[in-house]
Amino acid sequence: MGNIFTTGLFRQMLRSATPVALAAMGGLLTEHAGVMNIGMDGMILIGAFVAVAVSVVTGSAALGVLAAILVGVLVGAFFALFVVKFRSDEFIIGTALNIFAGGLTVFLLGALFGVRGTLRTQAGLPTVDLPLIDQIPFLGEVLSGNSLFIYLTVLIVLIMWTLVYRTPWGRWLRASGEHPGALRTAGVSPEGMRWQASLLCGAFCGLAGAQLALGNVSMFSEGMSNSRGYVAFACVIFGAANPGKAYLAALMFGFFDALGYRLQEYNISSNLTSMIPYVITVIMMVYVVIRGQKKKAAV
Amino acid sequence: MNKKKINWGYFGSLILSVVLALAVGAAIMAATGYDPLNAYHELFRGATGCDNLGQVFTGLFTKRQFGNTVEYAMVLFLTGLACAVGARAGIFNVGGEGQLYLGAIVSAYLGVVLNGLSPWIVIPVAALGAMAAGALYAWIPGVLKVKKKVNEVITTIMMNSIAIYFCAFLSNGPWKTSQPNRVSGTDPLDNVYRFTQLIRGSNLTTAIFASAIIAFFIWYVMSRTATGFEMKLTGHNPRFAKYLGLSVDKLVIGSMVVSGAICGLVGMMEAYGVRGNYQDGISNEYYFDGLLVAMIMGYRPVGIIVMSFFFAFLKVGAAGMELNAGVPGELYRIIQSVVIFFMAAEGGVKALLKVRRAGKEGAKHG
Repeated sequence: MGNIFTTGLFRQMLRSATPVALAAMGGLLTEHAGVMNIGMDGMILIGAFVAVAVSVVTGSAALGVLAAILVGVLVGAFFALFVVKFRSDEFIIGTALNIFAGGLTVFLLGALFGVRGTLRTQAGLPTVDLPLIDQIPFLGEVLSGNSLFIYLTVLIVLIMWTLVYRTPWGRWLRASGEHPGALRTAGVSPEGMRWQASLLCGAFCGLAGAQLALGNVSMFSEGMSNSRGYVAFACVIFGAANPGKAYLAALMFGFFDALGYRLQEYNISSNLTSMIPYVITVIMMVYVVIRGQKKKAAV
Repeated sequence: MNKKKINWGYFGSLILSVVLALAVGAAIMAATGYDPLNAYHELFRGATGCDNLGQVFTGLFTKRQFGNTVEYAMVLFLTGLACAVGARAGIFNVGGEGQLYLGAIVSAYLGVVLNGLSPWIVIPVAALGAMAAGALYAWIPGVLKVKKKVNEVITTIMMNSIAIYFCAFLSNGPWKTSQPNRVSGTDPLDNVYRFTQLIRGSNLTTAIFASAIIAFFIWYVMSRTATGFEMKLTGHNPRFAKYLGLSVDKLVIGSMVVSGAICGLVGMMEAYGVRGNYQDGISNEYYFDGLLVAMIMGYRPVGIIVMSFFFAFLKVGAAGMELNAGVPGELYRIIQSVVIFFMAAEGGVKALLKVRRAGKEGAKHG
């Protein structure tokens, strides 16, 4: 079993982790702002559909990504309208949004493209070769030649960390969730921060969907978000809404997802291996929450 | 106890939201090049089997399509009530889909293993097995939520995926039928164990009678007993409930377990009714349809039962609409979720106006 840990495994880990990590970057913003965003799964699904649909029509993957981000912002605005403005139940709106996204994407797939199930596109996001690094044995093979957004995501994580912990905007964002009253006294509207967090979250989920559909594969398929929005939500919780830690959590999900694929080659039923990342997510969720309580109790 | 008044304001906003959602559905169809009137007519035909209202009065109860509608209403009100039982006590069971799958496969397997015994033994054992499977699977996130404060929405969603993959593993592996003409699924159940069809060619079986009794029982417990009141109190304000001396933890876990047991039983009814065995895709997100109905009706048991018939009408009709008017049946899910958005918007606008009015009054007096 020594050859389970191949370069293929780690490349697949990066592929699986990236959409989850991107969505988690959005999810941690709403989490900091005190909004529980259960609707990320639907946002990813809509992003994936828009990315493929636009790239099929225009032939350009870049336009597909751009459209996915823009529509993501719109969906984020729709979410904020209810959750921030109307103060509706976050859980109800998020769940309804996920079901709406599932219905709308399948409906439009049939209505606009006349297909059921999947829509393929010729366009895909480019891959990037890293000079020098690709010379390193093993590590170079893993790290070089991946899809563009796999690299950009690392950059985004760094930017997000700086934004959240090292800028006034980040302080306001965190205050809007923890001490909204104090923030209002300081002259910043907590609702405004929640709006901004929701719009950005929509954009990130749109991007996550685009990466899922155009970066990892070149197609949209029915329900392809496959609970990744919830996994991203779990990653936000694992990482205590810290961008770096949330990214590590996403990598861990990616690792177990990839391990599942790898184990299929050892004649283990794909149905069993597909369970692995979800089982790990539940276990991690429980572990992190219990450890957090122990820490609190120790203080 | 004085009689409860009907909440006319809620009723009005519900009707308005449904009408507006149907209008949104029509607008979406018009925008994508379909004829909405024809589509809705086909939807009506698909759900009732009747061409016009006149036929509804003469021959509705013999129509295969009508039978399917009533059967799906049964699935909706049971899953909707399951969701409501949890939500009333303040715990959201989003894992009903997985509990349903486990109930279906456990009961189907029991039916195969016990084949040959009297149906008087097999059916109760299968029903109990299904309920136990669903209950146990709901108990895990319930305990985690109550004892360890682990968010039940995430755990139950993850557990859905786990259960569905696990059932697929069983039905394509160790529990797979040996019959050569079937690619997956458990062995078919003997006909003596299956619920009897009520309308020929339809999905409607005698399971509807059992469901009606269960629904009545849940309604009774939720709205007419002390336990139901304690659940409501716990869901509304757990601290206050604890202060009153209620065993809040037990109530919440208990609600979750009952919720899971109902979902498991729905799985058994599908396996022993419509399908006749366990097969992959035995539920196509049925639980989420029921969950939306429960949310739309604010977790009110009677409302859930009534509304289930309307949404079953839409869902079953949508299949006919897809077949005869070419409109993708998923329009049903769009309409259902849009109803929620309209109701939330209406509530939100009302609350905003109230705040604004209060602000103005305050300004006048100040």
